Amino acid sequence: MVTTKGSFAVEDMKNVQINIGAVVKEEEEWDQPMGPYPKPNVATLRDWDFKLANRYKIFYAPADDTCTLCTYGPCDLTGNKKGACGLDMAGYCGKIVLIACLMGCCAHAAHGRHLYHWCLDRFGDMKFDMGDEILVDSPLYQTIMGTKPKTLKEFGDGLSYVEEQVVQLMAATHTGQEGYYGDFESKALHAGMLDLLGMEICDMLQIVAYDMPRGAADAPLIEIGMGTLDQNKGVLIAYGHNLAAGAEAMIYAEANNLWDKVDIGGVCCTAHDLNRIGLAAGNPSIPKNIGMKPKVAGAMGWWRKMVRSGVMDCVMVDEQCVFCDVLEDTQKRKIPLIATTDKIMLGLPDRTNDPVDQIVDDLVNFKMPGVAVLDPKKAGEVGIRTAIAVKPKRSEAKAQNLITDTQFKEYLEKCTGCNQCVFVCPPHTNIGDLIQEAVKGNLEPFSALYETCVGCARCEEVCPQGIPIMDLYEYANRDYIKGQKFKMRSGRGPARDTEIRAVGAPIVLGTIPGVIALVGCSNYPKGTKEAYDMAKEFADRGYIVVTSGCMAMDMSLYTNEEGKTIWEQFGGAFDGRNVCNVGSCVANANIADAAIKVATIFAHRNHRANFDDIADYILSKVGACGVAWGPYSQKAASIATGCNRLGIPVVVSPHSVMYRRSFMGRMDKPEDWMVIDARDGKMQQIEPAPEAMLYIAETKEEAMLEMAKLCLRPSDNSMGRSIKLNHYCDISIKYCGKLPDDWHIFVRDAKDLPITYKDKMMKELEEKHGWKIDWKNKKITEGPLRPADVSFDPTNIPRKIRAKK
Amino acid sequence: MAGEVKKGIDTTKNAIPFEMAQIPGPEMAKTYMPKVIGAIIKKAKRPLLVVGAELFDDPVMFDKIIEIGKTGIPIAATAHSVKGFVDRGYLDNVYQIGLHPLTAHLRFDDWIGLDGKGNYDAVIFMGIFYKFANAMFSTLKHFNRNIKRVSIDRYYHVNADMTFGNMAFIPDDYHAAVDEVIEALKK
Repeated sequence: MVTTKGSFAVEDMKNVQINIGAVVKEEEEWDQPMGPYPKPNVATLRDWDFKLANRYKIFYAPADDTCTLCTYGPCDLTGNKKGACGLDMAGYCGKIVLIACLMGCCAHAAHGRHLYHWCLDRFGDMKFDMGDEILVDSPLYQTIMGTKPKTLKEFGDGLSYVEEQVVQLMAATHTGQEGYYGDFESKALHAGMLDLLGMEICDMLQIVAYDMPRGAADAPLIEIGMGTLDQNKGVLIAYGHNLAAGAEAMIYAEANNLWDKVDIGGVCCTAHDLNRIGLAAGNPSIPKNIGMKPKVAGAMGWWRKMVRSGVMDCVMVDEQCVFCDVLEDTQKRKIPLIATTDKIMLGLPDRTNDPVDQIVDDLVNFKMPGVAVLDPKKAGEVGIRTAIAVKPKRSEAKAQNLITDTQFKEYLEKCTGCNQCVFVCPPHTNIGDLIQEAVKGNLEPFSALYETCVGCARCEEVCPQGIPIMDLYEYANRDYIKGQKFKMRSGRGPARDTEIRAVGAPIVLGTIPGVIALVGCSNYPKGTKEAYDMAKEFADRGYIVVTSGCMAMDMSLYTNEEGKTIWEQFGGAFDGRNVCNVGSCVANANIADAAIKVATIFAHRNHRANFDDIADYILSKVGACGVAWGPYSQKAASIATGCNRLGIPVVVSPHSVMYRRSFMGRMDKPEDWMVIDARDGKMQQIEPAPEAMLYIAETKEEAMLEMAKLCLRPSDNSMGRSIKLNHYCDISIKYCGKLPDDWHIFVRDAKDLPITYKDKMMKELEEKHGWKIDWKNKKITEGPLRPADVSFDPTNIPRKIRAKK
Repeated sequence: MAGEVKKGIDTTKNAIPFEMAQIPGPEMAKTYMPKVIGAIIKKAKRPLLVVGAELFDDPVMFDKIIEIGKTGIPIAATAHSVKGFVDRGYLDNVYQIGLHPLTAHLRFDDWIGLDGKGNYDAVIFMGIFYKFANAMFSTLKHFNRNIKRVSIDRYYHVNADMTFGNMAFIPDDYHAAVDEVIEALKK
């Protein structure tokens, strides 16, 4: 039952127990009535999911042919055969996809749950206040839950909701439960949506508790790169995603004036969040601007390169995206390790209740390789004190672990050219060739391909000669590491309401050609520079470029001919020709939030408990495209799936085939592209825009072409369509040498044609596609699928029809 | 005399997945000699040659593909590989399409094809990032078994029906093997 009023009547009731959890009083404080779907259950939005799946056909690329999930197995499912339980290959893939999305969703939600308890313990309950310029302050929460949290404590309702739904979804993966692939995918879309909510809760909690920027386009530039870590100080690395222990380390260093003795470097998303702390001016418990003091060591893909470079003295790991052999890496190099959450304990003794002095003494004297300290405050103090005290004691170990000229040559000579390493290298680097060149004294190939190496170290695992190939990379790039010093704009958090008001109409009409969200991890097809190239291409073209996480870090490592990083070339606003870093992985929620805010702030759509309506609006009118270039974890899969449910298409890299599932439209099926015109309820065929929901691109060039195409929307006005088509065609000319084969499909009127190509295109329309052209008036008289109509109001939801019967 | 018969390049060796852990299950590709593969392609009623961006790493392959195109086999240029054909002035039967949308369409028997004349009965992959090509072969292996999956790439492609063994480290032999396929197509 949904209660929308704050009162009810009780008459003639006896022996009835009434439990009142929360009386909903929102209506008088919120100008939106409760929408149809507060706290949707597993099947509530199934109709919307099936609408998506009907247009964007579920596509599977199975990674294996057998199922081994129960004792009947292994079952051979080749050719979509059924296994003993009755599940066919499509169903099996759907089950694996759902499990993967649940893994990702749980990682963020559990992160949020930890932060929830920690923040309330550490700071007490606080008012949820995003400042005067962000009044739509938790768009996903409001769209899904139908309520507005007013304090941090009230976010507990959202976490409980996510946790309940996750249990229901996980149950459906048990043998003998769900059997239809379409329903597995509806459930996966549900998990993706829950993931977006979990991320938003996480980021809202930490923004308020840790006084992070609230939509600061001018968030400060901070230092990034291994070369920024001061080797005259003890270097403490905070590695993972949860800022709690790293923040305490910073506060301890600040309180005890230790910054001249210690440097803190973040790896992966903890880096982003440490650098956001205290950059607003709200929480007196947080020293102002303390987030300027730590460095960003780098993205998770650089971990094995960093640890081999000898730049670190002590490591704290928290959660998510931590290589499972981190202890082996640190132990070998006598780098004390502190595990700070119960997600990752690595077999280490739990020393949470021991005195700090004793723990530090044990670590500094190498009595144990690491400890688990689950109290963030204590872990932070242990980390700082250990990093400072162990530094002089590590000098010998540090020297021993950096290979010498002689060792380098010896290792090179051991290579037999068997190419086992190439067989396992994700980007297929021909390591044997690099070694052959190095034997000749040419280290340039080792340097040139350093950024292409994704840091997986599978080459070392298979080398029959035991050559430490990652160490060879380190040796050949020692000078590069020392000089790796760049700038990155600190995570700004959400888009401000005023920014949305300014860009809402241009986005929906198409005059800002699109919003490009570059997110992802380390598994790039051809190296980290592709992150920079993509951001620059689209920012130069006037798109709103948004980024986060490791992708934001990786794009920071390159400069233009003037020596400027991407952040120094472009502003940080949510606006065309800007590149804005929203923050860490959980800050990705701010990107989905911005799309919702276009619907609710610009278009005045009621978003409260109204998920499918908002998703329908975004799908039809908000030209946004997510790009997960280099995703490696299940979190990336669930984020992309959540974006898909919200109507945002996503382009992923070729490694993403391991996620097994994508959503692809059929351009040859007109019936798949029928929408309702909300003005009068009539059905109208639209051009395939966007043509896919989850698209796998082989190369950066293909990805960019598709990104431009996926920003096309049926609501574009002629000027907007012309601008979008211009970029689509222009990118094709630039990288493919010709116009794309399908540009004409998106033309509704001569005014849609880009001015640059207009005459050439009109000629081609007439000669190649048989359209009729009035050359005198330069008009198309016959041919397009539909006319351009600025007031056309496409929707996929019948309840949006406005005409009265 | 029997001793003078040219045996050609042996493309049946090294039948291990180029990415070693890609061991899908009971049905794995068989390796064939170039002449056999050429004959099978020639026998196909609606073959489609599908090429990718790895061709830029070995540009001579563009010329070989154009030779195949000139035998009448249409070419799907995936990723941004169409640039190689534009640069060589050959676009007669070349279609620009991503491998992912192409495979998505190939799944359906009722697809009209790139030329509007219907779906294909054989796809021949070449010059495509291994992991991606492997996955797209997997899609067809499971969801449209009416299409013969052929690889003439330099890798052993485990999810194909017919493939060469791994030849990635013997480029001269690989080039010669592709030439033999072309020769067989021209016969």
